[in-house]
Amino acid sequence: MPDYGQIQVGAGTLDARLVLGLAFILFLLGAVGVLIRRNPIVILVCIELMLNAANLTLITFAAQLHNLEGQLFALMVMTVAAAEAVVGLAILVDIFRVRDLDDVDELSELKG
Amino acid sequence: MIVPQIVFWVMAVIAVIGGLGVIASRQPIRSVLSLVAVMLALSVIFLLLSAQFVFAVQVIVYAGAVMVLFLFVVALLGPMREQATRRLRFQWPLSILVVAVFGGFVYAEAQGIGFRAPDKVDLSVFGTVQQIAAGLFTTYLYPFELTSILLLVAAVGAIYLSRGGRTASEVRREEEEDDSPPRRGTRRGREDNVA
Repeated sequence: MPDYGQIQVGAGTLDARLVLGLAFILFLLGAVGVLIRRNPIVILVCIELMLNAANLTLITFAAQLHNLEGQLFALMVMTVAAAEAVVGLAILVDIFRVRDLDDVDELSELKG
Repeated sequence: MIVPQIVFWVMAVIAVIGGLGVIASRQPIRSVLSLVAVMLALSVIFLLLSAQFVFAVQVIVYAGAVMVLFLFVVALLGPMREQATRRLRFQWPLSILVVAVFGGFVYAEAQGIGFRAPDKVDLSVFGTVQQIAAGLFTTYLYPFELTSILLLVAAVGAIYLSRGGRTASEVRREEEEDDSPPRRGTRRGREDNVA
């Protein structure tokens, strides 16, 4: 049985497992960042990092399966990421207009 | 030929270093610029994986537009140095533990799973703009049109949220000027109602 994990890249090959491993590492880095950072802008940046890792996974499988749907879905993910960044940053600017904030944990009004 | 693997490894190292820079740098501007580095490295890997159109979109829209938006907001809000606070000191090891457990699960699940045989398609046109367009405008026309509504909603929402209002200094000045009538919903107001 041939190793289907080898992706043809030009004249050579690239192991899909390597690329998926890179996406895995980047996603975990983004998750750690969301959990440990306190600056709201950096948290949004880390979410973008996770979305990029997901995109890399989609495109890797698109290349491995010779199926274009992964690339199309990656484009959709980019659209959603752009919308999310725009709305998130607008909310942040609105919060910062009313008060100074250097820790998302300070936003605890709903605790009652 | 080993060239694709060399390119991949160089870009992977840049991406991982950039990812570490995103979560480790103290100033938000450095996090944003590290993310730009990650995105550019990933775009080269997209190109290796014959995703030419996604490569172009990644460079122009993502690294170009979205990250410039982030930079504008960082510039607008001024430098915010993150200081280590006393409270929630347990958060650090706990989050590392949570992510390690999650990563362990994903890694364990991925063991022993083989790859399916690729589809039989004409690889000479795979990933070209024509093919992407054919997919977007035939099979996936409906989700493609829905993304335009999504972008419209996001634009309207951003304009609504960023319309003119009181600034932090104005709010502070007003609170100093009239301290007397407690606003509804504040803690003081509720205690007054009970009394």
